[in-house]
Amino acid sequence: MEAKGAETPFSVDLNPPPQRRDGLFHMPPFFEEEMKRVEESIEDYREGIRRNVAIISDPFYGEADLMARAASMAGSDGLRIDGRRLRHDFRILERAPQRIVMVDEAHRLSLRRIGGFDLMNRFLSFVTSEERLFITTWNSFSWRYLEEVLGLGRHFPRQIILPRLDAGQIREMLLAGRREGELTFVEEEAPGGDSKVLDWRVSRRVVMGHNIDLPYPSVDPEMIRSRLKRNRKEKESAEDAFFERLARISDGNPGVAEHLWKEALDYPEVRSSLRDPPTIDLDFDESFVLGVVLSSGSLELDELSEVLGPVDLSAEMMAAILEGKGLVSIDGGTVTLKPEALKSDIEHERRLRLVW
Amino acid sequence: MMGEEMAAVAPESSSNLSVSSPSEGVGEASEAISSALQAFGIDSSTIVHVILVLVLAYVATRIVAFLLTWFSERFHWLRLGIKMEIPLAKLAIYGFAVYHILGSVFQLSTNQLIAFSGLIGAAVGFGLKDLVAEVVGGIVIVLDKPYQIGDKVRVDGHYGEVTDIGLRATRLVSPDDSLIVVSNQRMISQALANANAGSLEMQVVIDLFIDSSSDASRAMKILREAAVTSRYVYISSKRPVTILLKDRPFYRRVRARVYVNDLRYEFEFESDVTKRAWDAFLEAGIEPPKAMVMDPEGAASPAA
Repeated sequence: MEAKGAETPFSVDLNPPPQRRDGLFHMPPFFEEEMKRVEESIEDYREGIRRNVAIISDPFYGEADLMARAASMAGSDGLRIDGRRLRHDFRILERAPQRIVMVDEAHRLSLRRIGGFDLMNRFLSFVTSEERLFITTWNSFSWRYLEEVLGLGRHFPRQIILPRLDAGQIREMLLAGRREGELTFVEEEAPGGDSKVLDWRVSRRVVMGHNIDLPYPSVDPEMIRSRLKRNRKEKESAEDAFFERLARISDGNPGVAEHLWKEALDYPEVRSSLRDPPTIDLDFDESFVLGVVLSSGSLELDELSEVLGPVDLSAEMMAAILEGKGLVSIDGGTVTLKPEALKSDIEHERRLRLVW
Repeated sequence: MMGEEMAAVAPESSSNLSVSSPSEGVGEASEAISSALQAFGIDSSTIVHVILVLVLAYVATRIVAFLLTWFSERFHWLRLGIKMEIPLAKLAIYGFAVYHILGSVFQLSTNQLIAFSGLIGAAVGFGLKDLVAEVVGGIVIVLDKPYQIGDKVRVDGHYGEVTDIGLRATRLVSPDDSLIVVSNQRMISQALANANAGSLEMQVVIDLFIDSSSDASRAMKILREAAVTSRYVYISSKRPVTILLKDRPFYRRVRARVYVNDLRYEFEFESDVTKRAWDAFLEAGIEPPKAMVMDPEGAASPAA
C-alpha cells in the first residue's frame, strides 16, 4: 500500500518537457500538420468527441516536443507523464484528476517477456473505460509489434505517424537562426574515400573442408547514386551535396541528422566527410538484443535481463558486444542506440524480420 | 539418307551380337556399335564433343546453383525467391546442351530426328521408362512449383527442407541432418504437405500437456505470451497466434499455432517456447499430467 501524499503527482511534468535522453535538439517546424491533428483532438474532446491519440515515430524523431506543445495547450486540464515512471507507479494515473492525459513513450509499459504485458493491458483497460483523453507517443517498432500482439489500434483511433524529412527540410532545420554565408561547407573525401562503383571483395568459404577465398564484385549503390547525380547536376554546391548526403545517411530522421550535423560542424566550417552508417555483422541472438533496444530507444540492463530470461545470454555481455560494434552506448546501466547507426540497425533488423 | 542406312545396318548388327565366344563377342559388338555410329555420321571427335558439352553443362549448373545460393544467403529476405530459380536455370542449361548436341553436333535433319525419336521411344518403352518418368516429374515440378528449394515438405513418410530439385530427384535434409533423395516421379504422385509454400515464415504447432486440475486459462495465457515474446516469432494479421485447449480424460492439451520468422529456426522456436512456457507453468503451479495407474476394476488413479 502506498503512503498517501508521499508524492505530488498532479503537479509534475506539466510545464517543462521531460529531459530528452538523447540530449538532442528541439522539434523541427515540419511537424505542423501532425501538431494540428493533436490540437484538433484536444478541441474535439472539449466539444465532447473523444478520440485517443497515438503519435508513432522511429527513435530520435523529436516527438517529445510535440507532447510539450500539447501539454501547454491542455493547460491545467492536462497531466503529462513518462511511460517509464508510470511503469513504476501506475496509481499516479488512477489518482490524477486531469481530463487530458499525455503519456510519453507509452511502449515502456510493456516488456517482451512472459507476464510483461500485464501493465500494458491494465493501461489499455484504463484507456477504454475512462472518459479522459489520452495522447501518447510510441516507438514505431514497438507499436507495430504491440498492434499485432494486443491490437493497440482499437484503443487509439487517431494515429499520427511522424514523416521523414527531406534534404531541404533538414537544411532549414539545421540552419535556422544562422546568417547567410555564416558557415563554410568544406568538401572533403569521406573516410575510406577511395570508393569505387565496382570493387572486388573476398569472401571466405569452406569447400570440402578447405578455406577458399572467393573474390566477388561488390557494387556500391551510394557511389552509383552520387555519380548519376554528378552527371545530372554538374555544378552542385558543397552545401547542397552535404545536405543531400545527410538526408540519405540519416534516412530523414531529424534527430540523427542533428547528431551527424554536430559531428560535422567545426564552426565556422562544416566538414562534408560524413561517416557512413556502420556495417552490421551480428549473430541471431545479438541481433535480437539489438532489436529489443531498437524497439525501445533505450533500455535498462535490468530490463534487458528480464527480456532475455534465465538463459545463457547475459544482458551485460550482449550489450557490451553491441557497444563494441559501435551500435549502442552504455551509460550508467542504460543501453541506448547510437543515432549514427540507426539506419543500419533498422535495415539489419528488418532483413532478419526481428522488427516489422 | 541416314534413316535408311540405319534400317539396313540394324539387322546385321543384331545378328552379330548373338555369336558365341565372349572375347570374340566383345570385339564384334564394339565393331557393330562403331559401324552403327558411323551410319549416323558419328565419329570419335563427335563423341568427345558431346561429352565435353555435357560436362560443361554440368559444371555450368553447379556454378549457377552455387552463385544463386550464395546470392540468396547474402540477400536474406529474397532467399527463397532466388533459390526458386535454381531448378529453372538447371533445366534451361541442360535443355540448351541437348539442343546444341542435336542441332550443332549431330546436325540431324527432320527425318533423322524422327528416327531418333523412334529410338528414344523404344528405349523409354523397354529400359528407361523410370528415368524418363523421373525427368518428366522434374519438369512438372519446375513448372508447376508444388514446392521450391527452401520449403519444408512432408512426402512419402519423410519430412525435411528441400535443398535441391534435380532433373531426376529431389533432395531433402531431415531435422536430424540426414539427406533424403526422393525421385521426382514419387514427389508428384504422392500426397505432399508443404509447410510454408514459398514463404520464409512457417506455422509451428506446439503442444503442451498439463494436469486436468491445473488452471487451463492461465496456461493458455502463459503459452500465448511465451509464443509472442519468443525471439523467433513472426506475427501479422495474416499470421496470427492461435491458442487452443483440448480436454482429455487424464490431461489437457494446450496447443499454440504460431509462425516462426524463418523456417530454419523451426525447432529452436519450438524449444524456446516450450522451455519458457514450462518455467512459467511451474511458477504458476500448473503441473504436468500425473502418471495414472489402472486398478483391476479398471478405474484410474494417480500414481504415488
